[in-house]
Amino acid sequence: MFSSQGRSKSKRKMEPKPRSPLWLADRPVAVKDNIATADLPTTCASGILKNHQSPFEASVVEQLRSIGATIMGKTNMDEFGMGSHSTNSFFGTVTNPPPFDRLSVGGSSGGSAVAVAENLVDLAIGTDTGGSVRLPAAYSGVVGFKPSYGIISRWGVVPYANSLDTVGILARSSEKVFKAFISMREHDPRDPTSLSEKSRMRAFTNSRNRWRKVRQQNHKDFQKLRIGVPEQYNIFELDDRTRWAWQLILMLFQDQGCTIVPISLPNTEKALPAYYVLAMAEAASNLSKYDGVRYGTRSKSRDGAGDVLYSESRGEGFGDEVKRRILLGSYALSSDAIDNYFIKAQKVRRLVQQDFDRVFSMPNPLRDPEQFDLSEMDESILLNNKLGPSQVDLIVCPTSPAPAPNLDDITNQRPVDAYINDVFTVPASMAGLPAISVPLKRRQEDGRRFDGMQIIGQYSDDNRVIAVAHELEKLLKNNDARWSRAESDSGTAISDRRWLDIMQLTFVHSRDVKV
Amino acid sequence: MARIAPRVLRSYLFGGQVLAIGCLRRNPVRSPALQRYHGTQASRADTDPAPISIPFRKQLKDEAKRRKAEGSGKKTKEDNQKLEDWELTVGIEIHAQLNTARKLFSSAASTINDIPNTHVALFDVAMPGSQPSFQKETLIPALRAALALNCTIQKTSKFDRKHYMHWDQPSGYQITQYYEPFAKDGHITLYAHDGIAKEDGDRIDIGIKQIQMEQDTAKTISQPGDIHLLDFNRVGLPLIEIITLPQIHHPSTAAALVRKVQIILNSVDACVLGLQSGGLRADVNVSVRRRDGEEGDNEYAGVKGLGKRTEIKNLSSFKAVEDAIIAERDRQIEVLDAGGKIEGETRGWTIGSTETRRLRGKEGEVDYRYMPDPDLGPVIIGQDLIDHLHESLGVLPDHEINVLVDDYGLTTKDAMSLVSLNEGGRHEYFCDVVDELQRLAPDQDLKEVGRLAGNWVLHEMGGLSNVEVEEDDPLRMTSDGDCIIPSAQIAQLVHYLDTSKINGKSAKKVLSELFSSGGSKSTKDLIDEAGLWFTPLSVAEYEELAKSILDMKVVEQILAGKDGKVNFLVGQMMRKDGDGRVDPQQAAVVLRKLIEEFRK
Repeated sequence: MFSSQGRSKSKRKMEPKPRSPLWLADRPVAVKDNIATADLPTTCASGILKNHQSPFEASVVEQLRSIGATIMGKTNMDEFGMGSHSTNSFFGTVTNPPPFDRLSVGGSSGGSAVAVAENLVDLAIGTDTGGSVRLPAAYSGVVGFKPSYGIISRWGVVPYANSLDTVGILARSSEKVFKAFISMREHDPRDPTSLSEKSRMRAFTNSRNRWRKVRQQNHKDFQKLRIGVPEQYNIFELDDRTRWAWQLILMLFQDQGCTIVPISLPNTEKALPAYYVLAMAEAASNLSKYDGVRYGTRSKSRDGAGDVLYSESRGEGFGDEVKRRILLGSYALSSDAIDNYFIKAQKVRRLVQQDFDRVFSMPNPLRDPEQFDLSEMDESILLNNKLGPSQVDLIVCPTSPAPAPNLDDITNQRPVDAYINDVFTVPASMAGLPAISVPLKRRQEDGRRFDGMQIIGQYSDDNRVIAVAHELEKLLKNNDARWSRAESDSGTAISDRRWLDIMQLTFVHSRDVKV
Repeated sequence: MARIAPRVLRSYLFGGQVLAIGCLRRNPVRSPALQRYHGTQASRADTDPAPISIPFRKQLKDEAKRRKAEGSGKKTKEDNQKLEDWELTVGIEIHAQLNTARKLFSSAASTINDIPNTHVALFDVAMPGSQPSFQKETLIPALRAALALNCTIQKTSKFDRKHYMHWDQPSGYQITQYYEPFAKDGHITLYAHDGIAKEDGDRIDIGIKQIQMEQDTAKTISQPGDIHLLDFNRVGLPLIEIITLPQIHHPSTAAALVRKVQIILNSVDACVLGLQSGGLRADVNVSVRRRDGEEGDNEYAGVKGLGKRTEIKNLSSFKAVEDAIIAERDRQIEVLDAGGKIEGETRGWTIGSTETRRLRGKEGEVDYRYMPDPDLGPVIIGQDLIDHLHESLGVLPDHEINVLVDDYGLTTKDAMSLVSLNEGGRHEYFCDVVDELQRLAPDQDLKEVGRLAGNWVLHEMGGLSNVEVEEDDPLRMTSDGDCIIPSAQIAQLVHYLDTSKINGKSAKKVLSELFSSGGSKSTKDLIDEAGLWFTPLSVAEYEELAKSILDMKVVEQILAGKDGKVNFLVGQMMRKDGDGRVDPQQAAVVLRKLIEEFRK
């Protein structure tokens, strides 16, 4: 699962910031191999960067080191993040330890997920473009969190599709995820898409006002949550076991006093194809820098050999899936196709965002409140009353349509069939929303099969998403015996009382939560 | 942005050494003109037959010889602006490098001639994981340029990626403004004195479609043995591209437009370097149609009914703009007259040549796959900034020229030269000299002072050059108007001359002394040292001088009535006196007196 490993305790001397507690003092952490580190190679699991040593370090790695973490190694992945099973790597497929080695670990952050699941590290960071943290978390049985877009810096993260890429966190508990999250959520001037302090402050103020209102109503916690269940997610391809697990989880929430509300996200069906058009177009653009001239590997033959400049170096350096996506992306951007593909996909992206803004009771702090005209609403949207459709705090749905598939089945699939795995993770990515995958453990006759349940929140509602995941973990009594020791010596626990406070405040401002 | 020490980065970039294989060695067939505009094609031996192994100087000489041989039958350029049967239409794209301290998307410094690869940020070489950070200061010169060209500033503009692969483009795309440029709908007014074709009358307005900001590419340094080195200091420097409407119909008007754009950009301090030194480059689109025939069916930038156009890339002088347009116009007419069709293609031009040559055709066109840059947000420009820059824009060249002609008594030609030389520095210098002269002689007419100062600043100083070293600008004139000779000293010199304290010949001598002493000595000291003060000759001295040159033959002729011969003798006197102190009138009086004595 590692593509390169650091010497243990090779911690860099780094002045910890005064307000950052050393959550991870001397604890091992793994970093996905598309995040730049100054002391280990950064290969993106690609042949073209197989020896690439980055001259600088990613912001998130600096932040992890500043809270005491030791970078254990760089984890294997799908090449440049392109894949759902961690099979498309120059270094070979990421596998579970036997006897489960024929089960997919999920992708593209598969190495990070397995490193956490196997107790090798306390925490791993990955990247999530369309589900690349949540899917491997679900398949490998760990917690995987994708924050709101622009909250964690991408400086030093090798881009796959910039407008969708986020840095995600994988850990064995939501508590660890939360601690890591609040240590990394700073504005970074080096990342032009990092949310500004001003916008963070606005989102924080929004949520504080909401909290005050909620307090007055003596309406304080988890039990009053309204949980949305998107009817469009009940797709034909949904595995029976997964559907059953979904129902079970919803019942658990209901038992706690939560209200389960059917909601409609009518553009869900279009989200997946639109996502692939956008991601591939951006990928084709981003990957045009790899020519072997300034860094990376270079073909022995001349750069001008072949039909096109650098075609030999690029042909040798990239794997099949990457080539496929570059070609498709280039096509989507070509002057003949752009209107029909790239532009349409951008429009679908707006519609998907509007779908979410309509169902969440919390307004999106990045956009002016929108009036949704009833007459323009899709017929399939259920109305709660004459005022419109019901609104919810969070959405709960499976992370993937089926439990982890068998690797042999994947090789028999057409490449495009693998894309369906991302159907539940892609919408949150398109809208830039926070989402977390909580593992469900079930042992079956045919061996270990993991599933994940996903919680999606409105933009900037990251804290509540993690806090509710924590509640769900408690309800599920998720505590693997193998993990209990590793978890017990990992610092102070967050109290139940504190979790309720966390739930009420949005992510973003450094002043919001002191644990 | 985190900066890596250049030394470290440099050693990192090429593994510490330049590789001998691959892209740094090119196929031998590619001509220099192709280097910057280039698609994804690999070089192919059959596409470009022109070998570049002939030394440049020899090439120029040969061209000149050939032109001379065939030249006699050709029209002069002035007569070659308009054709009876054909109408020419030209649109121009001008690239200019903005005058800024930093690059467009990184905090690396903008430099021009520094040690290669010493000002390179991570993003400049597309290091994986690095991101652009827009340097908003680059907007200031860009906005000044757009305002000076009468454009409407767009409150919101965006950056797009233009994809093509070339070794001088590290990220595989150039960041430019394709869908939403920052300035649109401007115009530039050209007057007769700007050098437009006489067919265009006294003035003509040419529309500017848009101005966009974009990144420059790396510099390729070609070495003998077909080795090409890359200097990433230039990559990412901010450029503006100015796109005119196809509203130009005469070659010299096109050249005048490019020249005027340069003057305007210099005057608002928007760009560095002139066209000749590479800070400005022009591409021209050329099409022709019959005046009496049907309208063409092509539409460019909203102008309908045009003929099929071709594009000539990368013209780097005003002369090249005009010559290339004439050559391409004539080529297109020849093709059409022979019943052929014009292909929409990209063509090149070599200095001194008489024909454009094909670089690539439609089939070789690159699909740039323009895409909004997902890392870069929109640029929002506030009205307050626009207002402030508008107010502080200063005087534009057209106004300056009018003032120089009307108030300072210069000819239009001299006024144009003053404004365009040394990026406006010569004009500053001229003003300093005039100010000083007015202080020295407050009552003198401004026009007279202006003419005097203009003559010395432009013509006399223009003739100075260094004997040992050949320099482009021996005066070392800066754009602020500082040079080797302090303006106060030249003003003093002109003043002495004007008040007959020294004579013209001495003044020229003092000027060259001022130049060679590098301004370390004052005019007064130099005149003192050389004893050049003008002292009139005494009557006795005149007589002595006259006697020494008297020729009896001439005297007899004069006495016989040929009075004009007196002037001949005056001339002899003046020549004899090396210091130029002889006043001709005085001399004539003395001569006449002496000659009359012979009559007796």
